[in-house]
Amino acid sequence: MSEIILEVKNLCKDYENFRLQDISFQMARGRIMGLVGRNGAGKTTTMKAMLNMISRSSGEVRYFGMDIREHEREIKQRIGYAGSQKGWYQRKRIGDIARITLGFYEKSDPQAFEKYLGLFSIDPKKRVLELSEGMKVKFSIALALSHHAELLILDEPTSGLDPVSREELLDLFRWLRDEGVSILFSTHITSDLDKCADDITYIAKGQLLASAPMDRYLAECREKGLGSTLEEIMISCEKEGNFREKHLF
Amino acid sequence: MKSISSKLFVKELQLAQIVLTPLFLLATLMVFIPNYPLLVGAFMVCLGIFYSFQNTREQQDIIYSVLLPVAKRDIVSAKYRFVCFYEIIAFVLFGIWTVIRMTLMSAVRPYAEGSLLPPSPLFLAFVLFLFLCFNVLFVGGFFRTAWALGKPLIFFSIAALFTIVSAETLPHLPGCGFLKNPAGERLGLQFSVLFLVFVFYVGGTLLSWKKSVDRFERIDL
Repeated sequence: MSEIILEVKNLCKDYENFRLQDISFQMARGRIMGLVGRNGAGKTTTMKAMLNMISRSSGEVRYFGMDIREHEREIKQRIGYAGSQKGWYQRKRIGDIARITLGFYEKSDPQAFEKYLGLFSIDPKKRVLELSEGMKVKFSIALALSHHAELLILDEPTSGLDPVSREELLDLFRWLRDEGVSILFSTHITSDLDKCADDITYIAKGQLLASAPMDRYLAECREKGLGSTLEEIMISCEKEGNFREKHLF
Repeated sequence: MKSISSKLFVKELQLAQIVLTPLFLLATLMVFIPNYPLLVGAFMVCLGIFYSFQNTREQQDIIYSVLLPVAKRDIVSAKYRFVCFYEIIAFVLFGIWTVIRMTLMSAVRPYAEGSLLPPSPLFLAFVLFLFLCFNVLFVGGFFRTAWALGKPLIFFSIAALFTIVSAETLPHLPGCGFLKNPAGERLGLQFSVLFLVFVFYVGGTLLSWKKSVDRFERIDL
């Protein structure tokens, strides 16, 4: 087994109308993990808790063997995040945001940033609001890679993208994995996972249903008669309601 | 190599700030308007800072900052540093204009005949008190949620109104008529009050910062 770079243990978060319960999973270096679930299942809450953006009710989140609460600065030097939100500082130029952002990182590499901008065809003189949704995600990824992030955490990076842009992004994920970068990305678009995920963590109604290598998960679901593709499995599980009993990985 | 705090401060100036904040420093020149409640100028300076906080929210500056390799408390510290930076500049400007009004312009007719609080050390003490209200009620209130701006602004505005009314009422109270002297009178007493309010400003702002750090650690973004 390769080095564990992310470990989430019994993560819980209580809201008035929603409870994230005992989410636990591990991620190894150089893997792509899909965090899958319906809208409102708890994917974003899990990611926010992992990034210390929300206080957690209980549980532990460790990156590279370090607890995020105690080693927040060191850990954030080594990870990158991109969300599906509209983007920061809409009227600022890409180059200006990048210059300031990279200044915070010990391993920042402005030349690498220029290389990635070229690779993604992003003009640094453009303002954020002039970028398409796909370009914004690519810009965030370029920033993360330019400080040599070892783990990318991406919250629904493919949602809202056209099929061609999605395919381009998935190609990029596969290329990054080959370069040794680990990627954890949340999505409800199961076909994205079919194309590139090595591992899957499935959350429904705030509970963990499964966290396993993708091929093993698909094989076991097939055996249980839940379906042969992720889409079929999700539909069958979410429709029947008693999903917990059917999923024991 | 710059410290995290300095980098965040630069980020505040170059990304989070909008041009209205430095522009509203021009409101310090309101000191030269004859027969006008001069503390409105200090309120305008705070309003200028408020606009940058509004931009902070609209541009998701807090979320951006939280994802940087910094601790949450660094983000709060940078915001307070940004606020105090503009308040200190404004205070220095108010100080310069006050000296000019009290010396070169004290005998100028519209100023000499004014019935409102003229620029004086006591006026500067009120300026600092207004800034302290801003730091405690607005900035401290903002960090309850790192989102909601309305209530903190309303609370600050009410406090500002009371401060301005108090400042303008004071010279008309029995025994306080000397405060109307445009050249300044009983300056020892006035400077003592200014020093005392300065101590309150520093202490109150530090307490507000500490409270904000605690709140910001607990809130969900």
